[in-house]
Amino acid sequence: MNIQTKKQTFTRYERARIIGARALQISMDAPILIENVENLDPLQVAIEELKHGFIPVTVKRELRK
Amino acid sequence: MTLSEATINSMVDDLPLPQNMVNTLKEDAIKAGVTKKELEEIIQQVMDNYGYACVEPCEAVGVVSAQSIGEPGTQMTMRTFHYAGVAEINVTLGLPRLIEIVDARKTPSTPMMTVALEEGYSDSRDEARKLAWQIEATHIGHLGDVTTDLAQMQLVVDLHEKTLTQRDISVDGIAGIIRDKLNVLVKISEEVDYQIIIQPNQPSYRELLQLAKNIHNVTLKGIEGIKRVVIRKDSDEYTLYTEGSELNEVLKIDGVDVTRTYTNNIAEIYEVFGIEAARNALVKEAMDTLSEQGLNVDIRHIMLVADIMTCDGEVKQIGRHGISGEKASVFARAAFEVTVNHLLDAGIRGDVDELNGVTENIIIGQPIKLGTGDVHLVATKPVKGESV
Repeated sequence: MNIQTKKQTFTRYERARIIGARALQISMDAPILIENVENLDPLQVAIEELKHGFIPVTVKRELRK
Repeated sequence: MTLSEATINSMVDDLPLPQNMVNTLKEDAIKAGVTKKELEEIIQQVMDNYGYACVEPCEAVGVVSAQSIGEPGTQMTMRTFHYAGVAEINVTLGLPRLIEIVDARKTPSTPMMTVALEEGYSDSRDEARKLAWQIEATHIGHLGDVTTDLAQMQLVVDLHEKTLTQRDISVDGIAGIIRDKLNVLVKISEEVDYQIIIQPNQPSYRELLQLAKNIHNVTLKGIEGIKRVVIRKDSDEYTLYTEGSELNEVLKIDGVDVTRTYTNNIAEIYEVFGIEAARNALVKEAMDTLSEQGLNVDIRHIMLVADIMTCDGEVKQIGRHGISGEKASVFARAAFEVTVNHLLDAGIRGDVDELNGVTENIIIGQPIKLGTGDVHLVATKPVKGESV
């Protein structure tokens, strides 16, 4: 098995966690990082932002002790 | 225009797949003769399906396993006995057997062995029969009639000549074994052929009756604990099936193929072959039990259970005296059974709970290390990134 080295991919749990955190920020009036979001709710905005890779958040992966 | 073997190899070899999947894919592609376009599509579909079958980090595989085994378990027959082929050997199957496996019982309720024979033995019915007599435990009841002579205070055993030659046992041999094992006076009758006279040490009524009972328990030939041996011809070789299991003893016999002999007693496999063999036996037995009932449970669920049962180097049961009862966390143990006792004992000892597991954290109301609960977010510099 070769290990993926290039682009960072998130697991479904990481994606959910990032979107959740970002949607909370947006719902509390954080500046939105993409355009054309008039009819979207905070969650959908967060999903769009993640799709484009604009969310300034990543995950810390640690090896279990 | 089909692809050559070399091209298929170069296309398939570097795929991020397990080796046996790569091999199967290669074999099938070569056998079927595919074009480049077709192979590309096949590879794409295989990769998609493989990705779908993969588990992501943080997934609760234990819970999924528990449900995947538990649900089909509800459909299992409560009590089934099955006669394995013509051998008419009774084996426990269904739910009782599955419980036996996860409880890691020392002896199954119906121990059974499949004894494969080495070349030279496996193709001859006579040799196989000879081996069978060496394995099957022979008692006096098989060989003759025991009569209690109250007047003379002795036991008279009339042996059947035919059975003796068939099982290759001599009268002297029988007399010797009984003498050694029961420590009594044994004489070979001079008047009647094939007759043995046994006298108790003290000429008391009780001793005689006791002796009449004990004599039936003496194993004259074969391995104690193996009640019956059935010879069966599978494809083109003879195989022995035994009722009762004594793996260690059977493997010592010449002519038994050590590599292919099997028992359904997992504890014996562990003793003889070690923990890895025991793990494989657990997986095989559980899978066989489930598939015999027509239930398709993915082997990976069973493997996870077998891994947990064997990861400490010994076969542990799932439950009070095994996995659940030996958990490191006080709360996790208290959540399983006898809550108050566990908490009280832990309090007296002054135990510390590290709160590393799932159960403990649920009890005290913290996020658990599972799924989204195990993701740690870190802020990065806001840059214009590409799509993820």
